Amino acid sequence: MSGTHRLQSGGLIDRGKPLSFSFDCESHAGFAGDTLASALVANGVKLVGRSFKYHRPRGIFTAGSEEPNALVELRGGVRREPNTRATVTELYDGLIAASQNRWPSLRHDIGAVNDRLSRFLVAGFYYKTFMWPAKFWELLYEPLIRRAAGLGRAAGAEDPDIYEKAFAHCDVLVIGAGPAGLMATLAAGRTGARVILADEDFRLGGRLLAERCEIGGRPAVDWVAEIEAELAAMPDVRIMRRTAVTGVYDHGQYSAIERVNDHVATPPEHEPRQRSWKIVAKRAVLAAGAHERAIAFGNNDRPGVMLAGAARTYVNRFAAAPGRRLAVFTNNDDGPRTAADAREAGIEVAAVIDSRTGARVTRVRGRHGVRLIDVADADGRTSTIECDALAVSGGWNPAVHLTCHLGGKPVWNDEIAAFVPGALPPGMTVAGAAAGALTLARCLGGGMTAGVTAAAACGFAIAAITQPRADDEGAAVTAMWHVKDSRGKAFVDLQNDVTTKDVALATQEGFGSVEHLKRYTTLGMATDQGKTANVLGLAILAQASARAIPQVGTTTYRPPYVPVSFGAMAGHHRGRDFRPTRLPPSHAWATEQGAVFVEAGAWLRAQYYPRAGEADWLKTVNREVAATRAHVGVCDVSTLGKIEIEGANAGVFLDRVYANTFSTLPVGKARYGLMLREDGFVMDDGTASRLAPERFFMTTTTAQAVRVMQHLEFCHQVLWPALDVQMVSVSEQWAQFSIAGPRSRDVLAKLVDADLGDAAFPHLGCREVTACGVAARLFRLSFSGELAYELAVPARHGDATIRAIMAAGAEFGITPYGTEALGVMRIEKGHVAGNEINGQLTARDLGLGRMMSTKKDFVGRVMAQRPALLDPERPALVGFKPVDGARRLRAGAHFLKIGAGATAENDEGYMTSVAYSPMVKSWIGLGVLRRGPERIGERVRAYDPVRNGDVEVEVTSPIFVDPEGARLHG
Amino acid sequence: MAAASVIARRGKADACAAAITAHYGVTLPTGPRRAASGDVVFAGVGPWRWIATAEGADAAEFVAQLRERLVFVAAVTDQSDARLVVRLRGPRVRDVLAKGVPVDLHPRAFKAGDVATTLVAHIGVQIDMLDDGPTYLIAAPRSMAGSFWSWLTASAAEFGYDVSRS
Amino acid sequence: MRINCPYCGPRGNEEFAYLGDATVRRPDPAAEDAAAQFYEYVYLRDNPAGSHRELWYHGGGCRSWLVVTRNIRTHEISDVAFADAGDKP
Ligand SMILES: [Zn+2]
Repeated sequence: MSGTHRLQSGGLIDRGKPLSFSFDCESHAGFAGDTLASALVANGVKLVGRSFKYHRPRGIFTAGSEEPNALVELRGGVRREPNTRATVTELYDGLIAASQNRWPSLRHDIGAVNDRLSRFLVAGFYYKTFMWPAKFWELLYEPLIRRAAGLGRAAGAEDPDIYEKAFAHCDVLVIGAGPAGLMATLAAGRTGARVILADEDFRLGGRLLAERCEIGGRPAVDWVAEIEAELAAMPDVRIMRRTAVTGVYDHGQYSAIERVNDHVATPPEHEPRQRSWKIVAKRAVLAAGAHERAIAFGNNDRPGVMLAGAARTYVNRFAAAPGRRLAVFTNNDDGPRTAADAREAGIEVAAVIDSRTGARVTRVRGRHGVRLIDVADADGRTSTIECDALAVSGGWNPAVHLTCHLGGKPVWNDEIAAFVPGALPPGMTVAGAAAGALTLARCLGGGMTAGVTAAAACGFAIAAITQPRADDEGAAVTAMWHVKDSRGKAFVDLQNDVTTKDVALATQEGFGSVEHLKRYTTLGMATDQGKTANVLGLAILAQASARAIPQVGTTTYRPPYVPVSFGAMAGHHRGRDFRPTRLPPSHAWATEQGAVFVEAGAWLRAQYYPRAGEADWLKTVNREVAATRAHVGVCDVSTLGKIEIEGANAGVFLDRVYANTFSTLPVGKARYGLMLREDGFVMDDGTASRLAPERFFMTTTTAQAVRVMQHLEFCHQVLWPALDVQMVSVSEQWAQFSIAGPRSRDVLAKLVDADLGDAAFPHLGCREVTACGVAARLFRLSFSGELAYELAVPARHGDATIRAIMAAGAEFGITPYGTEALGVMRIEKGHVAGNEINGQLTARDLGLGRMMSTKKDFVGRVMAQRPALLDPERPALVGFKPVDGARRLRAGAHFLKIGAGATAENDEGYMTSVAYSPMVKSWIGLGVLRRGPERIGERVRAYDPVRNGDVEVEVTSPIFVDPEGARLHG
Repeated sequence: MAAASVIARRGKADACAAAITAHYGVTLPTGPRRAASGDVVFAGVGPWRWIATAEGADAAEFVAQLRERLVFVAAVTDQSDARLVVRLRGPRVRDVLAKGVPVDLHPRAFKAGDVATTLVAHIGVQIDMLDDGPTYLIAAPRSMAGSFWSWLTASAAEFGYDVSRS
Repeated sequence: MRINCPYCGPRGNEEFAYLGDATVRRPDPAAEDAAAQFYEYVYLRDNPAGSHRELWYHGGGCRSWLVVTRNIRTHEISDVAFADAGDKP
């Protein structure tokens, strides 16, 4: 029940809560409080995976998020998650895990042949071998490498769980809940400051959970419980367990990932699996502790070799014995301590090999687990020791990662032979082991000081607190990186299978910079980001290139500190919530009509309204166009940007932002307006109507609505703040419908209380009316070229209004039309839209040069007069028809002279918009062609190599239907 | 709820404030705060800019009267149909809002009467804190009401919620 | 980044749109050398390694255009002001 390697007593596991789980289809037992890794250790499971490149057998190496080896596939089916670190996976009843990167089984893995071929798989292998011929990359090399490399398999199905994002704010953020973090939180919390304590573990205490130590004369875990109770009672202290702070950003912003429900098989209903936090903190105390590092020696990757600190964690915290006969290889005082803890737990200690005496381990023997170790002493005498586990301590690396996210560089500290934080992010202090203070007393003291100081910096008066008594035990370390007389591969980076030879080879081949080393060997990449490997790699690089470690420098640590799932980054924003969807007022009605919808920016618009029996969309669109031109059609145009502009200088303001003049526009009239960017290119078009002497109503295109509003605010607030102008978006306030076609007046006559005759309400008129009993606005505007109106009603009446329009229009054959028919009709009329207002064309290019007033200044006027933009050779807007009327045109095709080769030099312009015109009875197009307006009647090639298009077209006027504009009057 | 945007005319901020005090008996807030007189509320949403609302009032009448009273001192524009307004109340409201509101809503940072315009789930909103219940009003653009509701209900589901019309 | 909007208070940069150099002034369009001046105004920008005045638009908040004084090397923001100082209440 309790596992072959479970100690009889001790540990912070709940022996009253047994749990069962399976690893590689084999059932095991564990307890609440276990991690998957500790439960595997307790069950004597040493072999847990195969390595990335050489498929070497690997075991559990650490007891934390820095784990390089024990990556497993967690859960099954749609919840299968690859590359999960067993060391941070909380055990739950029914947990299923499987090893990765092996076939057919973990014990017998065919890929392990790579280990024998390793002579060929050294650093840079992929670069060297797959360089040539280059075109084989996509065809051959990449699929080959992808199959051979990689670790776990993704679920391959949509993740059924919920993920969230959330925001938190505090005065002091404490990162890490070990002795330093707890003291910092207590000190800051007692002042009344708002404190967040975040720790990636599910239990507070950090190393205190893993060491046999006392604080204030009591076991450290009792002290932790007492502090935890006091913090829990503070209303402004928030304890965030299972929460790793992953990044530091400018101005006190931190990212964190909370694994809310990774410790249960299925999250409770409505609860997220993970939550990604953005935390805003005035001050931060980094108390992230330190990572133990390895020593490179022969076969130091064999299952059963683990870091000494991890061995103590398994023994002391989890009551799980890493082996029955343990050897210890160390360069510091953690070695003897590990041996003492093992003996205390009843584990036999085979030997302590302390490099400070000149002794070293030269090789581990036993393929699937440690059996023997070869040891040499200072005098070169060798011996072989029998053991089934080897604890290694090469010293401790302060977890400086988060101090580097804003560009800080760690600095070398000779005393602990490790990098310590250098320049810190503004507002951050570092305490405890993360600062290089490697004794318990210094952790407690440093944490307390940091907490008090951080709270004081936020304006909170210091509260009473004393530092509890604790050991100030030594942490003497003598650097020892690499056993030079090793036999067998000596690994530096276990996750990426980088050996001491690879580092030496990289140096030999000239990759002497640490950044080059990383890219050439992949040292420090992947899920663990080299937390146990980087400094070792640097040290060996330094030795190989005869430099000191500080001269070699370190690689750049970037967010995230631990892996973050894409689900957590997306949060709520996936599927239909990927981004907000805007629905126009007629949406419910259009849905009832069976409309097909299209995304237009954030809007969901009716694209066309198919009827039974219509074979394809083109049939439908042709019908909508024909019906509108013959009778009457209606289209929801509420998506246009709508802006109300008031003030004594409103007219002057519009004169400055539009290329044409508006100050002279009479009340009750609308005008087409063209807006340029300051660089002289067209930015947007639309209309503005004068509702009152000092009040205008502007419309923009749907696509540019937000941008135009921002531009207008810029023009007012930055360029001309003295003008008396007030502007506000009313896009959401008004539902607006275009009613177009020869019978549109007849339809409206039934709905509004106004004289719609040409005399009383001419083309480009606007007025307030009552429509269906509602105060409305009516504009006589036409995008289709037909007699047409736009009726605007307050949005709550939009649904009723579209229904009323349809009812009133029934006797005239009214037809709803969507964005496709709208597009066809505007192309037939040669009206420009987003395809032409593409940021690269000027008013002149679009045949609108005469709209640019010469009597006033306006945004873009001066730059539009640049000689290159006035060059008559510039492509300008014309229409196109296929010479063979049956051919289809494609937007994006480039124009070539007949007989000219398809080269960039021969390019004469491009097609911007195309449509099938039921009026012309063929495809038609708009486009810009070099000297286009002079070439009407000429034939050119519309060449579209991307879609195999090559169509001979005739250059025409851009106006295909009713060039005289007679239809505007019905 | 009737709603209108009120933007002071150039150089008329003081006159605008005076007119509002004279007609509605409230001091126009200069920052992101709300001032209420009966059912009429003026909420600061930007420099020189407020959203005036009147619970239960006829939109056209409220806006017409406001425009008349502020003629020459402010631009008044009807926004009664532009917004979805929800009132949120309950002990876990802050936990719900933390899932999308980037503004610090801690009682020390955001108090009854405070207003914030911000982005929630990429949607521009106005948040008013009404009382220490705590009760918040959130106004979102009408066209994005569905997306806003989707975010709100997803965020509240963990704690459970009731919906009622007012 | 966080910008302390003088109207709204500190907000994350996702609420803001960046425009660029706040020190350039739209030239007099009637000037004799307007074409050259506009060319500079539209296209030519200094890239000072240090303090810089930039225009940011609080589109996700109060809709104010702001002049943010920011050290481009450290991202430290030393001042935020309304572009339109005007007669704000
Ligand atoms: Zn603001």
